[in-house]
Amino acid sequence: MKSVNKDLNDDILLQLLVDVKANDTKAIGKLCDHFLPKVYRFIYYRVKKIEDAEDLTSEVCLRVLQSIHEQKGSFHAWIYRIASNMITDHYRRRAVRSTVKSIGDSIEEIDDHSNTAIELLEQQELRQNLSQLTEEQQQVIVLKFIEGYKTDEIADVIGKSVGAIRAIQFRALTTMRTMFNEEGQRRNEGKN
Amino acid sequence: MEQDIELLLDICIEEMHKGKSIEECLAEYSQYASQLEPLLQLVEQIEALPQPAPTPEAISSTLINIGKEIAQLTITSETPVVRRKKRKTISFFNIFQKPKLMWAFNAALILIVVLFSVATISANSVPGDILYPLKLVTEKVKFLLTFDSEKKAELRLTFSDKRLQEMIAVFQQSGKLDTTLLKEMLDEAKLALEGNEIPTDKASIFAAKLSHVNAYQKDVLEKIRPRVNPSSRQIVDEAINMCDMRSRWMRTMMNEENEISPDSSGLDSTGSPQIMPRSKQKSNRRQWGPGCDWMK
Repeated sequence: MKSVNKDLNDDILLQLLVDVKANDTKAIGKLCDHFLPKVYRFIYYRVKKIEDAEDLTSEVCLRVLQSIHEQKGSFHAWIYRIASNMITDHYRRRAVRSTVKSIGDSIEEIDDHSNTAIELLEQQELRQNLSQLTEEQQQVIVLKFIEGYKTDEIADVIGKSVGAIRAIQFRALTTMRTMFNEEGQRRNEGKN
Repeated sequence: MEQDIELLLDICIEEMHKGKSIEECLAEYSQYASQLEPLLQLVEQIEALPQPAPTPEAISSTLINIGKEIAQLTITSETPVVRRKKRKTISFFNIFQKPKLMWAFNAALILIVVLFSVATISANSVPGDILYPLKLVTEKVKFLLTFDSEKKAELRLTFSDKRLQEMIAVFQQSGKLDTTLLKEMLDEAKLALEGNEIPTDKASIFAAKLSHVNAYQKDVLEKIRPRVNPSSRQIVDEAINMCDMRSRWMRTMMNEENEISPDSSGLDSTGSPQIMPRSKQKSNRRQWGPGCDWMK
């Protein structure tokens, strides 16, 4: 089971934010160090190209720095909301629908030498299937199973009730399961 | 019915996060097992996937963008002062009347602020942090841009101290001793003396600094030693001995230096240049004690 990624406790985060707001560059460094990989993972599973994920991560970091003085409430919720808005803008800009696309059509192959071929295929398949979910479903799946957030925390990030998040989670997993089954069937038919 | 299954799925996922197996969860809700099982298996598959990480190039590019942003904020906040100065200087220096040169000057200023910001942002990182490689690159650049041998030696001492601080930070976080950092700490202190020629008149002061640094490193290592894993204690002991030996040797060197040249001027009582006895010359070329096997 993947470990939960939240190793920065609330008090430390609060102090860090105070320092960042006072333009302390070391604090900015710490904040980047903690949130940059999280934001990258959040975006990575929701865009088609790795370059887009990297560019959008960079843009989110800049936006965070530019508007940090306006930040109120949960920082986690705030930063993921910025990332979500950036992804929406990205698709709007490119006028690309994040819905149905044929497998292997547009998802870029991951050039990461540290992963095995099977892991890469699984990661690619997951990205492909995720990209076919609705925007909210994608957010819930990534936050819950990639980032390790709890249901109530996701409710806070997305701005919905806990019950609504549970419903989204159920529908997302059911849809993905169906997609995996269909792919499995197609592969078996191909072999035969 | 659907609400029940949504709730049960969420409960099972939370239970799995706490360490329960799929089978244990299904046994508790056997009535819904056929519906829950494929979904919980999918959850396990998703969570077992390796986590993607941004490439070092992407991290550097992001940090440079952040550095630019900080530079822009800094320069924008100082704009009125710059303008006032610009008006004054126009009448004195023709160079500022040329837009190309002015542009180059501004670009250089922005570049300096960007580099400074990036260096500061990564300053507190430790091995394992995504910014750490950038910190090492910044240190290398700083070292390469330093031409004075005394300042180079000082930088080596600073790097040695940084490795010690990082080793402590890693030890506090993970409870494990990072022997690579320990080796680098000792290497940097060694290079501070061996890799640079210190002017004779400053050798005594530098020896005092080195002695102090080594004594401090020895103290810190002695404090860490009881908390270190017993299998790593021998390494710590060797490092403590090495720091102690270096510190003592530096003190001896300081005393010898003072004996030969009390006024540090390099001249003897008759005003003639001092010639160091052959035995002392030899001792100055002495190595930093025997090497440690684990460091090779």
